[in-house]
Amino acid sequence: MDNNKMDKLVEQYKDIPIPQELDEIVEKALIVNKKPRRTTTKWIAGVAAATVIFTTSVNLSPALAKSLEGVPVIGSVVDVITIKEYKVDEGNYQADIAVPAVQELENKTLEQMMNAKYLEEGQQLYTKFMSEMEQQQAFNEDGHLSVTSGYEIKVDTDQLLSVGRFIEETAGSSMTTIHYDTIDKQNEMLITLPSLFKDNSYIEVINSNLIEQMEQQMNDDPSKMYFIDSPDAPVSDGFKTIAEHQNFYINADHKLVIAFNEFDVAPGYMGTVEFIIPTEAIQSILVSDEYIK
Amino acid sequence: MLKREPTWEQKIAEYVMENKENFYRLAYSYVQNQEDALDIVQDSIQKAMLSKTLKDDKAIKSWFYKIIVNTSLDFLRKRKKLTVVDDTTLQLHSQGVSDYYEDIDLHRAINELSPDYRSVIVLRYFEDLKIEEVAEILELNISTIKTRIYKGLKLLRIQMEDLNFEEAKQNG
Repeated sequence: MDNNKMDKLVEQYKDIPIPQELDEIVEKALIVNKKPRRTTTKWIAGVAAATVIFTTSVNLSPALAKSLEGVPVIGSVVDVITIKEYKVDEGNYQADIAVPAVQELENKTLEQMMNAKYLEEGQQLYTKFMSEMEQQQAFNEDGHLSVTSGYEIKVDTDQLLSVGRFIEETAGSSMTTIHYDTIDKQNEMLITLPSLFKDNSYIEVINSNLIEQMEQQMNDDPSKMYFIDSPDAPVSDGFKTIAEHQNFYINADHKLVIAFNEFDVAPGYMGTVEFIIPTEAIQSILVSDEYIK
Repeated sequence: MLKREPTWEQKIAEYVMENKENFYRLAYSYVQNQEDALDIVQDSIQKAMLSKTLKDDKAIKSWFYKIIVNTSLDFLRKRKKLTVVDDTTLQLHSQGVSDYYEDIDLHRAINELSPDYRSVIVLRYFEDLKIEEVAEILELNISTIKTRIYKGLKLLRIQMEDLNFEEAKQNG
């Protein structure tokens, strides 16, 4: 049986050249119908919108109170507060950036290092937003920009504190990134991913566990999708490996959780995704069972 | 906690971005020129975004293909009133020199088929869709699709004696 002719036709079909204009045309067609996604703040007609920067002094903001909901703080002194908040409210341009700060750490070097980093990132985000907004306004573009950044206390036990800082940027389409810092409150040190393991073999071990979990989830639930190679859906730039310092935290059950930003390993509709690594899978390469059990 | 339910538009946009090249090729296979194929892709996306006919997210694939196919067929119907595409025009659109004859094969093959047969062959073999999906896209029952695949391949075999259509019988 000779399939050559059909194969050749299929090949020619796949070789139909894609014009450069396609991207532009597709994007335009999509944007025409795009409505601004965030409509939480209403524009008040007749009132010139002012750009306000709030500097909140050390106190509990409602956002923080909310983020602490359900997280039992057991006699621990180390605390996270909102030290600064940037807010912009100009019609289609919305920014809400809350900068966290860690407090009451004995290890002042660590505290200062973390807080300086948080503050700098908050400022950068704000500066970037403002310059993009001014640029669009200068050219009279009817743009939609929004950035929401804040933090959540992911874990707060006697031993561990994990702070996740998220950034959600919307400019046409939206994108969420999240970054975790985990501190050993008793020993007052920042826990890094490599420090948990005896050697670098954790990268490979975690990779294969992640791929297993992704495949399992896709099999169990057809609405889930990850960028991994599979026989019926090859992906050219799918998930290959975690980074040496991949985003992670340790949850209240002492399990390692590996986190990915939106679009890293899955299409946007999946949002930011997390995987709990079963301790059995990494037991043999852990330095100790101090944090992960 | 941060995972939000994407809006309907986001899901469409996501799907379109991932499959835009397939859409373009499919449209191209009908109209056989770049400009019109791009128009069809654009029109189809706008139709999709405005239409509220997608009921089930899982059906997005056949739903979108259906829009492309219908937009292409509409376009051909309109164009038919204006011009008749002849072989010379088709040759002008073939790409490159080295694969000149091969391209002729593709154009010939496609153009020897009426739109009815063209749709099933392109969707089933070029876009590699399942027979069930082709049936859904063309709103025909599965046995009609099988018959058309069989006949379509037979028609192609007339021009290209070694084309295999046994496969259609097996798959169908």
